[in-house]
Amino acid sequence: MPSRRAFLAGLTSASLTPTLGWAAAGNPIALSAAMRPDGQHVLVGLTASGGATFEIPLPARGHAAAAHPDVAEAVAIARRPGTFAKVIDCARGNVTQTLHAPQGRHFYGHGAFSSDGTLLFTPENDIATGQGWIGVWDRSAGYKRLDSFASAGIGPHEILRLPNGLLAVANGGIRTHPNIGRDKLNLDTMRPNLALFDTTGQLIDFGELPGNLHQNSLRHIAAAPDSNVVCGFQWQGDPFDAPPLVALYEGTGTLTQAQMDDATLFGLDGYIGSVSAFGQGHYAASAPRGNTTFVFNGEGAQTGAVRATDVCGLCAAPDGTCLVTDGTGRVHSLKDNALSLLATHPLAFDNHLVALNQV
Amino acid sequence: MRLALVLCLTALPAFADVQRAIDTHILPGYAALAQATDDLASDAAADCTPEAVRPGFNTAYDAWISISHIQFGPIEDLALTLQMSFWPDPKDSTGKALGRLIAAQDPIVDDPAAWAEVSAAAQGFTALERLLYEPQSDADYACRLTQVVATGLADKSAEILADWPAFARLMTTAGTDGNTRFQNDDETRRALYTALSTGLEFLHDQRLGRPLGTFDRPRPRRAEARRSERSQHHIELSLAALENLATAMIDGDLTDTRAAFAKAQELASALNDPALAGVSDPLRRIRVEALQRTVRDIQNAVNTEIGKPLGITAGFNSLDGD
Repeated sequence: MPSRRAFLAGLTSASLTPTLGWAAAGNPIALSAAMRPDGQHVLVGLTASGGATFEIPLPARGHAAAAHPDVAEAVAIARRPGTFAKVIDCARGNVTQTLHAPQGRHFYGHGAFSSDGTLLFTPENDIATGQGWIGVWDRSAGYKRLDSFASAGIGPHEILRLPNGLLAVANGGIRTHPNIGRDKLNLDTMRPNLALFDTTGQLIDFGELPGNLHQNSLRHIAAAPDSNVVCGFQWQGDPFDAPPLVALYEGTGTLTQAQMDDATLFGLDGYIGSVSAFGQGHYAASAPRGNTTFVFNGEGAQTGAVRATDVCGLCAAPDGTCLVTDGTGRVHSLKDNALSLLATHPLAFDNHLVALNQV
Repeated sequence: MRLALVLCLTALPAFADVQRAIDTHILPGYAALAQATDDLASDAAADCTPEAVRPGFNTAYDAWISISHIQFGPIEDLALTLQMSFWPDPKDSTGKALGRLIAAQDPIVDDPAAWAEVSAAAQGFTALERLLYEPQSDADYACRLTQVVATGLADKSAEILADWPAFARLMTTAGTDGNTRFQNDDETRRALYTALSTGLEFLHDQRLGRPLGTFDRPRPRRAEARRSERSQHHIELSLAALENLATAMIDGDLTDTRAAFAKAQELASALNDPALAGVSDPLRRIRVEALQRTVRDIQNAVNTEIGKPLGITAGFNSLDGD
């Protein structure tokens, strides 16, 4: 009888026939959840010039989506503690399927496809134990639930596939229980980490901050072309005592903190919303509560700070710039440490931009 | 005459509130700060003993607390906010920065031009308060520090004031060619509203929340400016300043906002607790908690009577927390 891992590995190599590619959805470079003025939540495709190629209604507030690498298909995953995920045909503009978290589990708003698009991975909370899991779904079998593997931490939030084919998981470290909303149950003992897996669920590497920073909750991550991972944190201690909220994983088992001094951290409320790796070795981190996006170089030195109200969504654009969205409906381009406005939409862009065809 | 003015205001509704906030609140506030810090620097130059400098320090600190909620504009562009006042300071950056300068007898205190390079925590009112209200073992060096901090505060305040007229023009010409700072009137109003709502949040969460701590663990030593026993005074000053901004930035029915401000002022002035030491005393603590709840009432009233009419909602992302 084949082992679970061998079974998953075999599935990964299975091929499937693409249906409509992203060109049929207007060639967006990124996806974002958003809210219309009337309160309707939508999934939006954005072009390099900031235009919207499609707006597809969602049944509830979105967070981030998993974008299929080839097919014009996205899975919009309910924000925590939601239990549904909607498979969306972005070319035809309709929901084709609804996925449900297994009994006793909830999603965290994020997910990722394997490089070949056959498997979908969803971070999940096992509500009874608080243990984090990564759900595995077989797209080629109509998103059949295959299995799940331990996320190697509590509160797995974002998952990414890296250019080297591995999966990176941000274990935020915070235990919550849906019965008491988003109350944090383990701030004294929380222990966040970045965990690297292969697509069979084998733990490959593990990165942590020093123990005295255990209240720095790793929440959002972004991959660089060399498979380094930029990490964005949400500090759970006194916001005026916050350590640097950005770190870099370089495949060495550790997280190296970026340089953020007191003056930089003052006013951010210890909160980074999104991160991005873009251009030639640049990193960006958005601070929606400080209305600022920071830019770093590969050494972790801060090279710039640009202002935009309620800024949050970030992702690398194919031309080496960073696409930036905010809650007032604006799409900006970040280049050379300056922000230029590309477009304004009657939308409030939600937390994250998901880049397409980047990996 | 009055009719003409009304028609004029009606024709330009978008600018009326912003112009008034600038003319009656922001510019006078920074002018008062520049004047008071200039006087403070002169006082310290003439006689740098704590007794001689304290009156000018108190007047200048009043002026700062009355305008410190304006965190956009030149003070942001010049990155001077923390240099003016380094608080909250849970890591005691102020004590450490002053301690390093004193231990090294750093001659930079005699070079006002280079002073801006030292740690922000050594430059502001929070540093000056330590020098004037804590015992100093080295009176001569403390004197020179006092003088350079005072001169630095005057220099920074003058710089901010000098840059404001140009920034005010950007605020009142939103959306015109070349104005990349404010692309429409909504952005300008949002900047003012953010100053108001952030100021109220700071009052609730920091000025009141930090010393309150929890019932089981009150934190009186976290009160702002407790050494100079100005903690309660700062609460009263910021209430007055924020009410002034609220009423300047909009024409409208501010009944609930005014009532909540009035109640908060009444509770604040009745505390009789200059350094908020009473947060450790259950009976006196109740009064600080009641004040904090009233500040929350102000926040709600401001949201309803100012934020909503201006079409400003709280940040979609900044409030989400995920």
